Amino acid sequence: MLSPSERIVFILLVVVCGIMAVQGFSQIFKTVKSGADSNRSDNLISRFSTALVDILLQKPISRARPIVGLFHSFIFFGFSFYLLVNINDILEAYIDGWTTLGSENILANLFNLFADIFSVFVLVGMVFFLYRRFVQKPKVMDFNANVKLHPGVSAGGLKKDSLIVGIFILVHVGSRWLGTAIHLADNGNTDKWLPTASIMSGLFSDWSPAALETGIHVTWWLAMGLIVLFIPYFPRTKHIHLMVAPVNLALGRNTHRGAMDGVSNPASPGARTLSDLPWPQVLDSWACIMCTRCHEVCPAHESGTSLSPSAMEINKRYFINEQGNSLFNGAADTALLDYAISDDAVWSCTTCYACVQVCPVGNEPMMDILELRRNEVFDAKMPDELADVLRSLDEQGNSFKESARRRSRWSRTLNFKLKDATKEPVKYLWYVGDFSSFNQICQDTTRKVAEVLMVAGVDFGIMGKKEKSAGNDIRRVGEEGLFEVLVEQNIESIESCEFEEIFTTDPHTFNTLKNEYPEKGGNFRVKHYSTLLLELIKNGDIKLNKKLDIKATYHDPCYLGRYNGIYDDPRQVMKLCGVELVEMPRNKENSFCCGAGGGQIWLPDHDDMVQRPSENRIEEAVSVGVNHFTVACPKDMTMYSDAAKTSGNEDNMAVNDIVDFVMEAMDLPEQTMDETLSSDTEEAVPAETLTEELNS
Amino acid sequence: MGDILVITEHLKDEFQDITFEMLGKAKELTGISGGQCVAVTFGSMHGKADELGTADSVISIGGSDDYNPESYAAAVQSLIREKSPSLIMVGFTSMGMDIASSVATALDIPAVSYCANINVSGSEFSCTSSMYGGKMNVVTHVEGPVLAMVLAGSYNAETGRVSGSPDVESFSADFGSGNVRFKQLIEPEDADVDITQSNILVAVGRGIGSKDDIEIAEELAEVLDADLACSRPLVDAGWMSKSRQVGKSGLKVKPKVYIALGISGAPEHIEGMKSASTIIAINTDKNAPIFDVADYGMTEDLFDIVEELVEELE
Amino acid sequence: MKIIVLLKQVPDLVEDLEVDASGKTLDRSDIKFKLNEYDDHALEEAILLKESGAVDEIIAMAVDGAGTDKMLFTAIAKGADGAVKLTGGNPADSHQLGKAFSNVLASESYDMIFTGVQSVDDRDGQLGPIIGSYLRIPCVSVVSGVKVSGDTAVIHKEYSGGMMGEFEVDLPAVLGIQAAKQSPRYAPVSKIRQVQETMSVIEASMGELGSGSGSSVASMAPPEKVAGAEMLEDVEALIDVLKDKGVI
Repeated sequence: MLSPSERIVFILLVVVCGIMAVQGFSQIFKTVKSGADSNRSDNLISRFSTALVDILLQKPISRARPIVGLFHSFIFFGFSFYLLVNINDILEAYIDGWTTLGSENILANLFNLFADIFSVFVLVGMVFFLYRRFVQKPKVMDFNANVKLHPGVSAGGLKKDSLIVGIFILVHVGSRWLGTAIHLADNGNTDKWLPTASIMSGLFSDWSPAALETGIHVTWWLAMGLIVLFIPYFPRTKHIHLMVAPVNLALGRNTHRGAMDGVSNPASPGARTLSDLPWPQVLDSWACIMCTRCHEVCPAHESGTSLSPSAMEINKRYFINEQGNSLFNGAADTALLDYAISDDAVWSCTTCYACVQVCPVGNEPMMDILELRRNEVFDAKMPDELADVLRSLDEQGNSFKESARRRSRWSRTLNFKLKDATKEPVKYLWYVGDFSSFNQICQDTTRKVAEVLMVAGVDFGIMGKKEKSAGNDIRRVGEEGLFEVLVEQNIESIESCEFEEIFTTDPHTFNTLKNEYPEKGGNFRVKHYSTLLLELIKNGDIKLNKKLDIKATYHDPCYLGRYNGIYDDPRQVMKLCGVELVEMPRNKENSFCCGAGGGQIWLPDHDDMVQRPSENRIEEAVSVGVNHFTVACPKDMTMYSDAAKTSGNEDNMAVNDIVDFVMEAMDLPEQTMDETLSSDTEEAVPAETLTEELNS
Repeated sequence: MGDILVITEHLKDEFQDITFEMLGKAKELTGISGGQCVAVTFGSMHGKADELGTADSVISIGGSDDYNPESYAAAVQSLIREKSPSLIMVGFTSMGMDIASSVATALDIPAVSYCANINVSGSEFSCTSSMYGGKMNVVTHVEGPVLAMVLAGSYNAETGRVSGSPDVESFSADFGSGNVRFKQLIEPEDADVDITQSNILVAVGRGIGSKDDIEIAEELAEVLDADLACSRPLVDAGWMSKSRQVGKSGLKVKPKVYIALGISGAPEHIEGMKSASTIIAINTDKNAPIFDVADYGMTEDLFDIVEELVEELE
Repeated sequence: MKIIVLLKQVPDLVEDLEVDASGKTLDRSDIKFKLNEYDDHALEEAILLKESGAVDEIIAMAVDGAGTDKMLFTAIAKGADGAVKLTGGNPADSHQLGKAFSNVLASESYDMIFTGVQSVDDRDGQLGPIIGSYLRIPCVSVVSGVKVSGDTAVIHKEYSGGMMGEFEVDLPAVLGIQAAKQSPRYAPVSKIRQVQETMSVIEASMGELGSGSGSSVASMAPPEKVAGAEMLEDVEALIDVLKDKGVI
């Protein structure tokens, strides 16, 4: 359909843009390749086919913002189909007489139908997105004022890029759509396979044939010319996600999310610059669609601190765009802390994994932060309070600056003696954990667990002073060396015991024992105590004699739920106790972190924190109309007990551990502790016969 | 038994309390075992010998008025060599520490640090030292001559502060080779508050955990109309100013009420506050030495207690 | 300018301390030891001086024992250039410890010797002045500010009440450090491990220790709770006390 000179011009355009594009894309390739090694080449076929299916089902983007996701799928399916439409355009342009209009062929007609409908989908979707960004301007798309932003971002770069992409798509698809309408007008008929184009063709019904011919050429050039011109622009725009996201998703980490990567170079651990990051995390910069889903679910950003995982990825991208080729001459040495993220933000992360979980394109901003921490810690750059805690962990194996020998003091007020697993065989080795052992509020829960298990006749024991912090959070604050030392020592202590399984009251402990210890030689069967309680209830060892008449909500701990997929066991325990479970909006994998992880529980509140994440969560519980907030993690217990007070909900929101319900439902005739479900967990009343202190 | 030499300590022309503490004790000991109680002064402090009435006599070493670790130690050394006392008492203070151990080593005399108590029986002394952060009392039995470093606050200074007119003799001492030279005395910056004059003090120690948490102690101080004080580690960490430091190298306070939050009670701190009329200590460690000097104590978490207390009082 | 920093391990006071069967010494069987915190300050002050360019070399020195290697490698990881451990004996008190160090230091070159002003177990005297005496070089302790120029050091010695004396000291000299200009830094474990792999600790024989302090411990016991604190049950009781004392 194109004239010979048009055909030549188009080919030239393709060549010129093609060369520019090759330069741009090869720079992407070089930059990504400059990242640190990471093996993602296993099972390539299954990786890509899984990613393809997920994308076709639009799974990643539907993890959050469902309505937005719906409109995205309009654009996704439409734009994907447009590959065929563009091919058809080329054929039409270069092969005389080629057209799909008025064909007898069913395939051609189906093609037309989809092209017609998808055009409208894309246009509608695009209008929605432009409306959202430019008119509705939802607050979630804003960064906290204290977030480090690349100058290009502060100057409105995101809006500019969105506008360019929006206009491109509107014009590209719009022209094709109108072009088809003009074709129909030119043919003088409508086509039932092109419903919307047929309607639009009415607009052109009184155009002269010459005008229509011009119209056909103009719309062709607008549609095809724009896309060819856009190709070299891809490396500079977030729109490249349509090529990078599938790759990013396919080559994602397929190791357990609860297992951090090892340190590749102990002499210089972690990352200081972009190329210190593993290459998939460099690739993240191009996959990022700058949608801010990650900081919407980030407890640090929500509470007002300077951390926005979204800003970090965007800053990386803007830095790369700005540096271009000089990235490999000197600019490669620029510290990430200079342009991508502030030091304060690095130390605000709770490692809750929500940002990774929600990202529709498979980015892992949290991993960047963990690598930055490793690098900083190696140079002893960290908040002072953290250094103190690390010293305590190194010297005494706990974060509480207490003597290791006091680790099992919590058990003193029980009226029975706990087995010392280092001295006699047990069925279950109970890995108690720092917080459950030393924190006064948590100790109550720990004692109740002991009580319940004792009454149920479970054969269990503890390691006492031989138990040290399992190290989960130490690893996540970047002290890999100390983590390794503790793992070695703990594995030795555990292996000196005879047992069948380990259970723990602490999800952080659970996570590292289960997912990270095997790599270091510690292969044990580990379960969280909620699973154990459920088993014991189901097999009758725990007899529930009373149904509780309580409505409660349950908070999924990050390291039990999001990290390890255990959502139902604690819920079932609650239900079996007769508790009516009312879910909060952010539940299961969307649970909102209490703010204690990643070392935050050892650090003072950040200066710019507007509201603690834990207070935010308590308010969420209040909003669903319950008076009981249920936890299954000692850090949650202490964070939420505190938050109930500081948010002014002390009298209307009781914070309970699941074991509270179990104990109450067991309705024990003779109890060693005064047990009522009141707004505060009460101090244990010492039994009359104190036992020998374990390991004294 | 021979004589007891009490090495006096002075700063800015005033004898320090430790001097009188030691004199009182030395007099008591000579009363038991005989010998003279002799006060040793430096520079022109012999001019204030009338304050040293507890002593039987005074030996003036002379030399500079300004303390100098090298010259004072050399002088004391030459004096001891000359006089051969049974016991030499020196304060376990900044000034005393430099004199004590070097003199004792040079003369090959036993030295005992952290002495909270000294007793004598015949020619044998029994010194009780408060060691391991105050967690252990270690008793040393040793024949004289011995050099005992006395912890400030071990005895009542008032007992030893008696006016009189002891004989003053001069001693021509050897002042060493002048490798250490005094340049100037540096006064502390003007403090916003003089905690030595405070009636009620709320003091925080390491147990407060972090700089931010000092806030809750501030709230308590406000509610009680008290001043804030602290132990040394918080000053070293830069969390509080030196003007608030209570202890050996800080200030000695005598408030009506001293509330110690998260302070373990190491001797260096106790020195500074044990004269308070009422001491209330809150520390989760029931074995913390602070409870040995405190009148009242609680082992609950200080944050819980302070929070509740502030709420009740508001 | 070279500084030798003398380090020693002491019982971690976080532990519940007990007396052993003899009644004269600590039961060391179950307690953890750590670097004397004042020695840590001494090391930190030395490193700060090196970082400011005033000092070229820092050597850490300690007597061989259970945690010595780790302690010395940690010192190197923090910024010391090398470490020496003294073998062939078991110093029983500050005097014997001082003798051990002095024997080795006698054949070392140095401009300053830093060590902590005191330690929780130095019953028979403080290490700094003892070594100063053995080596016949000046010693000033309770130091919390060191500046060097040429062959003198200008130091601040802390008195009570926040006052300080400024002194000029001819080098070589021993300084007993009370506090460095900032809190002792943290040494990441991976850095310590890296140092362990790439460097080694030099051994030196400690020689004759002499007879020691000349006094021995007769007995050791926790302080008797003569009239210990009256323990209060709750905040109500505390308020009563405060009312009683006229505070509220």
